[in-house]
Amino acid sequence: MKTANKPAKAPAKAPKAAAKPKVAFFDFASCEGCQLQITNLGETLLDILGAIDVVEFREAISEKWDKDYDVVFIEGSIGDHHAEERLKKIRARAKVLIAYGACACTGGVNGMKNSFKLDEIREHVYGPDYKWFDSTPTKAVHQVVKVDYFINGCPVYAPEILEVVKHALRGLPYTVPDNPVCSECKLNENVCMYERGVACLGPWTKAGCNSWCVNNGNICYGCRGEVSNPSKAAQDVITKYNLKPELIKNKFDMYNKCKENDQKPGKGK
Amino acid sequence: MNQHILKKEELDAFIKKLAKRMKVVAPVAKGYDNFAFAEVTSADEIALKYVPTILPPKKYFMPVREKVLEFSADAKGFTQKPVVEYEETAIFGVHTCDLAGISCLNMVFSERPRDYNYLTRKDHLFIIGLECLSYCDEHASCALVNSHLPNGGYDLFFTDLGDKWIIHVNTQKGEDLVEGMGLPKASAADLAALEQARAAKREVFKNEIGVEAKKLPGIFAKAMKSKVWHGVGERCVSCGNCTNVCPTCYCFDMADSVGLDLRTGARTRTWDSCQFETFAKVAGNENFREERSERQRHRYFRKFSFPLDKFNRFFCTGCGRCTRTCMAKINLKETLKELAAEHN
Amino acid sequence: MPTQLVKEEIKNSNWKLRTGRIIAAKQMTPAEKWFDIALDDGELDHEPGQFVQVEIFGVGEAPISVCSSPTRKGSFELTVRAAGRLTKHMHSLGKGDVVGIRGPFGKPFPVKLMSGNDLLFVAGGLGIAPLRSLINYVMDNRKEFGKVDILLGCRTPKDMLFGDEVKVWEKRLDVNFNCTVDRTDPDWKGNVGLITTLIPGVTINPERTFSVVVGPPIMYKFVIAELLKKGVPEKQIVLSLERHMKCGMGKCGHCQIDHPKNYYCCKDGPTFTYDEVKDSPKL
Repeated sequence: MKTANKPAKAPAKAPKAAAKPKVAFFDFASCEGCQLQITNLGETLLDILGAIDVVEFREAISEKWDKDYDVVFIEGSIGDHHAEERLKKIRARAKVLIAYGACACTGGVNGMKNSFKLDEIREHVYGPDYKWFDSTPTKAVHQVVKVDYFINGCPVYAPEILEVVKHALRGLPYTVPDNPVCSECKLNENVCMYERGVACLGPWTKAGCNSWCVNNGNICYGCRGEVSNPSKAAQDVITKYNLKPELIKNKFDMYNKCKENDQKPGKGK
Repeated sequence: MNQHILKKEELDAFIKKLAKRMKVVAPVAKGYDNFAFAEVTSADEIALKYVPTILPPKKYFMPVREKVLEFSADAKGFTQKPVVEYEETAIFGVHTCDLAGISCLNMVFSERPRDYNYLTRKDHLFIIGLECLSYCDEHASCALVNSHLPNGGYDLFFTDLGDKWIIHVNTQKGEDLVEGMGLPKASAADLAALEQARAAKREVFKNEIGVEAKKLPGIFAKAMKSKVWHGVGERCVSCGNCTNVCPTCYCFDMADSVGLDLRTGARTRTWDSCQFETFAKVAGNENFREERSERQRHRYFRKFSFPLDKFNRFFCTGCGRCTRTCMAKINLKETLKELAAEHN
Repeated sequence: MPTQLVKEEIKNSNWKLRTGRIIAAKQMTPAEKWFDIALDDGELDHEPGQFVQVEIFGVGEAPISVCSSPTRKGSFELTVRAAGRLTKHMHSLGKGDVVGIRGPFGKPFPVKLMSGNDLLFVAGGLGIAPLRSLINYVMDNRKEFGKVDILLGCRTPKDMLFGDEVKVWEKRLDVNFNCTVDRTDPDWKGNVGLITTLIPGVTINPERTFSVVVGPPIMYKFVIAELLKKGVPEKQIVLSLERHMKCGMGKCGHCQIDHPKNYYCCKDGPTFTYDEVKDSPKL
């Protein structure tokens, strides 16, 4: 199996049903919209809550838990030294860590910070006294600590939350689909955005969202990250529809700028 | 079997009567010259002149996702129930290319070991064909594979005779329906008009690639190492569009899932594509079709070579969907011409 | 609505699982575990070279070669390398656990054609697993076959599977056994080198020899070249190919072989003669 993001070695047996796993949610640089997706699950949420024991969840409850966690959800990207330290401490106490949402999985829109010189962007945001405010180039969670499961998307796609939770409860690896979004979009019989004369990132973005955006009349913005082996022939697609390559690259940078952190120095995109 | 007549203004009544008996699906416009089979309840929703739909009617025979087995495991042990889900449905307006596609799938799934999910569902589908008297667009190559003329595979088949359709009745089920609706039998003049329409059609539909179909097996016999595949592979995006839209592609994947109770579960069959990178990969990470060129070659062989040995027919119906849907301009007619040119 | 979605049970569905109980299990190497499985509904009724689909509740399925001979009744054996999602999970199972089984599937080794002839077995790595079903079948019907040579290759002495049985083969007078390792260790006193180095040393009458070769994909090309050099006819070189068999019914398409002929590894194989598959660019 080709696994885009390799989860950790699965525990030998699923946790016993009797002991409900202790689950916590932590947010870093993000809009917390992905945590809201959990509360949007409706009836499914009740089923999930029947299977787990939520000990920390800022969007709905506030409680301080001082023991280890069975499962932690990390929302948000990592943008300063303090966040990095806090994340490492959480990791040390967590049996399973789930990167939750685009900011955590790919750096998300916060990665756009990396398109600028750090001090320039700090000054722009914090004003002349910017040096008092800690800031580092944006990193995705896996660029700081080991990640066991990825739930991609901005926001996360509800059915996928459920799938990953079930996999985590059983200690099974979850494979993020690594085919282009088109593979799902076509099955939904959407009129291809390119036929409408609009550039869409579907051909290079990982599927798994059931082409949610395109089903609702939007283009794919690439929020789930680039497939691990993207077509080298983007040029053909781009010229067929009279587009400029820079347009596609710029569109991709919106969610995927942090990908450059994964690449070895000297290795171009 | 008989030929009956339906006046054009009576189509709406026909669809409405049919919709009282079963679900009716037909091509509907989605904009930008795209069409899809979807449920209709009246004639004005139907696109009577349409370019082949985004997905072929195979989606009714073999749904994109299909539960084939339900199971549960608890203290009492393991229980299972193989299941099929179906809905009595009439598919209206199926072109001859798609009728050919359905015939291909029927062969595949009737072959032992039989696929009872497919075969059960097939028995609950009522097929109404619709003849094309002119090309849908330049990507079609139905004359090449001789699927531009009706060749069975339907209950009823509509051919346009100006202000009416002549309906060829191919099954008892079809006969019962048109008799029940009181559709009149075709007159000798109607039959003559049909002959005339067919004669005119033969003048319009000609081999689209300038290479005789009977030469294709010879061309493919030498095509395993052709350079053409490299060019095709370099363009391919591996999005799987070409196979998803193909009326004769039927490769699938199986996955087991469990409910949140972790005790009940199901096995689901979903469409898969030989164009995906992981398709021929094995657990040890060896990938037997790692290159896009190998995967594209495989797709073409599955249309023009393999099925000849097994089913004595091409598994390309000339519908043109793969060319239309390819974002990277991979063109079936061009590829065949290139292979033929290389062969000579 | 005039109609509605109907859900029906299919009595004769080919997706139905047989249930099997693990009656014994043993970790053979860090990567390979051996399982002895008894079906609730009787014998597996397989032939040497066939495979089964193993299902673990809700995890999925994987194709595994049967490594025991059908002459040994009551249960069947599998050797499972932890390579994919299901097989890794399977390593956590042990005695008493239940698995789902479909099969047996595939074309077995051509035992009838081979009887009365000499046999040269060449196994590399995990290839010994499917080959063991045939070797033990031959051992149990020894008089039906001529001279028997077994060549075994593995990466290091520690990777050797079925060590106890291998010792028995080594001692039997009616079998010529030789093995080699790619990398040695201090306790190893045998051959060092690739399995191809053992072939020139075997004395055979090529016209009446069937050579059965099973190993990793990379091994086939080199072993076949050596066998052809010895004069073994292409129709008498028998291989067992690995592909991703998913449905086992020649439909899902995953195991199809790149070859001008329409071969599905699950139905037309996994055993093929070299003559059948030599035109594949991916042998």
